[in-house]
Amino acid sequence: MDIKYMLEIFPQFLSVIPITILIVVLSAVFGLLLSIPVAAIRIRRIPVLSQLMGAYISFTRSTPILLQLFLFFFGLPVLLQLIGFDITNIGAITAAVVCLIFFNGAYMSEVLRPAYLAIDKGQHEAAESLGYTPFQKMKGIVIPQMAPIALPGLGNAMIHLIHDSSLVFAIGVVDVMGLATIMSGDTFGMKQVEVFLTVALIYWGISMVSEQIIRLLERRKKRVLRKTGYELKEEEAGYSV
Amino acid sequence: MLNIENLNLSFGDHKVLDDISLEVKKGEVITFIGPSGTGKTSLLRCINLLEKPESGRITLGGLTYDFGSITKKETLNLRRKTAMVFQQYNLFKNKTVLENVMDAQIVVQKKSKKAAHDKSMKELARVGLDGKADAYPHQLSGGQQQRVSIARALAVEPEVILFDEPTSALDPELVGEVLKAIGEVADSGMTIILVTHEMSFAKDISDRVIFMDQGRVAEEGPPEQIFNHSESARTQQFLRKFYTTTH
Repeated sequence: MDIKYMLEIFPQFLSVIPITILIVVLSAVFGLLLSIPVAAIRIRRIPVLSQLMGAYISFTRSTPILLQLFLFFFGLPVLLQLIGFDITNIGAITAAVVCLIFFNGAYMSEVLRPAYLAIDKGQHEAAESLGYTPFQKMKGIVIPQMAPIALPGLGNAMIHLIHDSSLVFAIGVVDVMGLATIMSGDTFGMKQVEVFLTVALIYWGISMVSEQIIRLLERRKKRVLRKTGYELKEEEAGYSV
Repeated sequence: MLNIENLNLSFGDHKVLDDISLEVKKGEVITFIGPSGTGKTSLLRCINLLEKPESGRITLGGLTYDFGSITKKETLNLRRKTAMVFQQYNLFKNKTVLENVMDAQIVVQKKSKKAAHDKSMKELARVGLDGKADAYPHQLSGGQQQRVSIARALAVEPEVILFDEPTSALDPELVGEVLKAIGEVADSGMTIILVTHEMSFAKDISDRVIFMDQGRVAEEGPPEQIFNHSESARTQQFLRKFYTTTH
């Protein structure tokens, strides 16, 4: 194995790591924003919309994400044309991010929904009886109690997202994985192990950093949990595909 | 001061409250008694709109609200003039005792932190829990939690405090401290509407006792009349049953 070669190619990856991070961060942030109304619609069981969201969540969780990427990349321009936008060619990164936002919106809504439902009805009623507006109630009472329950699930979602983002090379995005496939081709397959091992180490690094961030938040969570006296069983909040 | 006219509430086909009218004077202590499932708690919950009646009117603090057409703004307004003490206390789990009492003053009433703090400490002292200001609800006994929730209700200076079976969830040895706190609230001149199964307490504290049966007011009058010289066969039957099963 050629460790010198690995050290040689590593700097080239520095230019594409931001693309991977950009895709992950955008998908995580907007995915979370999307998951809030989706979870709200399902919690309130708004007729028609709730069933629609159920189908969306089921579809997203039951089809391979690689397939979803192709559907968005090839399907989005067609769909946009139908509603009057004439974009025959959307960028691969745009398609990838939009796809991962939809994927994460579904995934995270299924983390938020049980977390919301775990909050005792009496907590809502106490706030309502004192004249809190729905927003004041959510901000001061409900969300602070939901956060520690939802955190492990959201952390899982983040790690999954980092891993799933490696698939976007399939629609032509030159992210970390994309560059690796190019390199592996350039060397006519001679240095494949070195290239992919380097990539594995990079993903490991990115995941480690996000894990540290999550752990930091979890420590705060544990403090909150101790305060509220709430016993959290991991399987209660844990979520995995 | 508080006036309810022709209040009706149904859950599906089941009529929970049937044309209830009630007038409460300022400083009056009114107790609802009666068998389970006769709408006592529902009536209390209608007064601050945790249940929405389909028809009727309520007048509180000089303003009249029509239940049939009440707006979101009116709902908040009405709720801000009332406070509720729940059977299960329902203290905010993520907040300390002091924060529980302060929060509504800051968030809803927009008081300064300093003013809310001082008011809260005063109300906590009144229920004898100023020493527990920094504890979290789960660190307190049920009786202490209920006394905090009484302080939380007092702190927003409502026109009326609604007590929904405030001692029903408590261990018997903790009931006394909560009843004592409620007694002091009553002595201070606060208007109180109470639902309870503590008959001897009801007898002592109430200006008026209302016996409810099947969603209607079956009999009402001063405690002396209801408990000792009831004119209603239904009331007598309930009280007799009550005393033979629980005492």
